[in-house]
Amino acid sequence: MSITWNDNAPIYRQLRDRVVAMILDGVLKQGDALPSVRQVAADFQLNPITVSKAYQELVDEQLVEKRRGLGMYVTEGARDALMRSERERFLREEWPQLYARLKRMNLDLQTLLDSAEKPQGAQP
Amino acid sequence: MSAIVQARGLSKRYGNTVALDNVNLSIEPGRIVGLVGPNGAGKTTALKAILGLAEFQGELSVLGMDPRTHRDELMQQVCFIADVAVLPRWIRVADVVDFVGGIHPRFNRAKCQAFLARTKIAPTQRVRELSKGMIVQLHLAIVMAIDARLLVLDEPTLGLDILYRKEFYNSLLSDYFDEEKTIIVTTHQIEEVENILTDLLFIREGRIVLDATMEQISERFAEVMVNPDKADAARALKPLHERQIFGKSIFLFDGVDHGTLATLGELHKPSVADLFVATMKGTYA
Repeated sequence: MSITWNDNAPIYRQLRDRVVAMILDGVLKQGDALPSVRQVAADFQLNPITVSKAYQELVDEQLVEKRRGLGMYVTEGARDALMRSERERFLREEWPQLYARLKRMNLDLQTLLDSAEKPQGAQP
Repeated sequence: MSAIVQARGLSKRYGNTVALDNVNLSIEPGRIVGLVGPNGAGKTTALKAILGLAEFQGELSVLGMDPRTHRDELMQQVCFIADVAVLPRWIRVADVVDFVGGIHPRFNRAKCQAFLARTKIAPTQRVRELSKGMIVQLHLAIVMAIDARLLVLDEPTLGLDILYRKEFYNSLLSDYFDEEKTIIVTTHQIEEVENILTDLLFIREGRIVLDATMEQISERFAEVMVNPDKADAARALKPLHERQIFGKSIFLFDGVDHGTLATLGELHKPSVADLFVATMKGTYA
């Protein structure tokens, strides 16, 4: 597997975001084990410190817990917590700009909903 | 003594040529250190000094020992893969394993055989019948079966195809490295190892010109893509390097506040290869 990292953010952050995306998408479910630091380091050709740092971030956010001698596991309620914080973040950071833009363009809710429910590629 | 390697005022001359010029460095346990420099910069000389294979001036301690006087003890704890083939071409694989088993107290024969079983190398083959990639696999199988504290790799993947190169680092990371081991690696394929490294040492004309952890590097250095109207403002901040691309200038800065730089243009983390080019410019001139 070949992974390209972008150079705008530290790799441990990007790795953390990858795990978060996997939890949100349900690929990693609560109670699932994360692959070992060693495994991830070898698979992605990263130094183990980078991987540990990404995992530590997830532990700090209580999305993942360390079980002694066993490894890292997705915590109960991780997905719900993530959903909540992602929704809050959207409403706080993305929505105000988007809302302003929709107002400028005079797009009303019905038009937006109609457009979203149309089959892909259909012309309005 | 917590440092694995500690050098102070390390110097080495070959006749009139200065190979190492007053080198100071300290390598902690659990690190993967890249020693990077142009050809002839002194990398191999530095490694040879660490391994007790070359005389030198100055102070050098490896695992708390002086490599000049404690080479035998040191060799029980240090492994080395050289860029030149050191195995005799007539020897059979099984005999290599027997030989190392006979002389090295920390060699685990079963482990070595398990590694070899994952390759296409047969115990009855002679070294001269193996491809370059297989010879490196054999070296690696031996080294990974030795419980050493320091592993020195001098251009370990030179001349190997990309599959062998990936496999090499993959094995090191999944089956060998842990926080009690330390690896020093020299390579010209920096882009392939840069995410594996925890520390970076640049050597140029026998001097260490950069010695930093990868974390410090991402804090210190930044690349900014600047539009022509702001190029002079960027130059005023004394960039390390400037290059042109698609009508924009890319500046590389060392130690300039990232907030200040962000006002000039888009900020990127430079690759080790970019840093190398900027640091070594004029080497062959």
